[in-house]
Amino acid sequence: MSMENILEDEHFQLLAFLVASARGCVDEPPTYGPLRLIDAAEKVISIIEKKYERKLPELEDVKIIIEKARNVILTDEEEFVKTLDELVVKVSKIIKRL
Amino acid sequence: MPALIFTVFSDMSFMDIIKGRRSIRSFQDKEIPREHLKTIVEAGIWAPSGSNIQPWEFILIDDSTLIKKIKLLSPGLYGVPKALVILCVNKKRSEKAGRLGESLAIMDISMAAQNMMLAAYSLGIGSCPIASFNKKALRELLDIPEHVDPVLMISLGYPTEWPTPPRRRPLEEVVHVNEYGKHFGR
Repeated sequence: MSMENILEDEHFQLLAFLVASARGCVDEPPTYGPLRLIDAAEKVISIIEKKYERKLPELEDVKIIIEKARNVILTDEEEFVKTLDELVVKVSKIIKRL
Repeated sequence: MPALIFTVFSDMSFMDIIKGRRSIRSFQDKEIPREHLKTIVEAGIWAPSGSNIQPWEFILIDDSTLIKKIKLLSPGLYGVPKALVILCVNKKRSEKAGRLGESLAIMDISMAAQNMMLAAYSLGIGSCPIASFNKKALRELLDIPEHVDPVLMISLGYPTEWPTPPRRRPLEEVVHVNEYGKHFGR
């Protein structure tokens, strides 16, 4: 594998995001940890959808909940936690159905 | 004050600019003219500075490949901005202020950042201050010397939308008049 186009590889982009986030989480506010994880989850969805070469409706729903969580993190921590719960339930339902 | 900055603010009231600025995390694919970027960083150098030490160095990035690389290692950078300003403390300058040097430099940088973001808004350009980036990575990517410490990043671009303002703590709660605990209108 050539390293020439590695910057365009979404797996590599995720890797860079994860290592930078890991270091950042040491100093940042505690809620930034879950924020980075859901941002990473969104990147994983993008990788999965690229692999299947189409949008997957159930994962698109997960993305909507991730966006909802991101929108409330700075204004309503309680709502943020509730939305994370919603996210886990959504993914659990996908797993259960399979 | 330079005429250039004065002209920029002329068609909006100053309070409109202060209240209208929002943190923007989604940008249009539209280039920012270099002259506007220059105006924005110029607003930064006119910020107040303790003992006029001006402990700052501003690194302006408008190379899209470089922005992409910086974004990879900056978890707090959302969207694809057209430019970044990295605000750094030059420790050789800040130490001139003695023990206060470090905290004064952060105050100076913060005021410079606010000037830049207000200037950007007055030009219709969105911005977002970002502290969640990896300093060591940035140092490596941009060849920043040891005595220069990157402390804040501002992303710049034309917004896809201006978000509604988040709630602010009211004046009556935040401001204490003549004595701590005595508020406006109470």
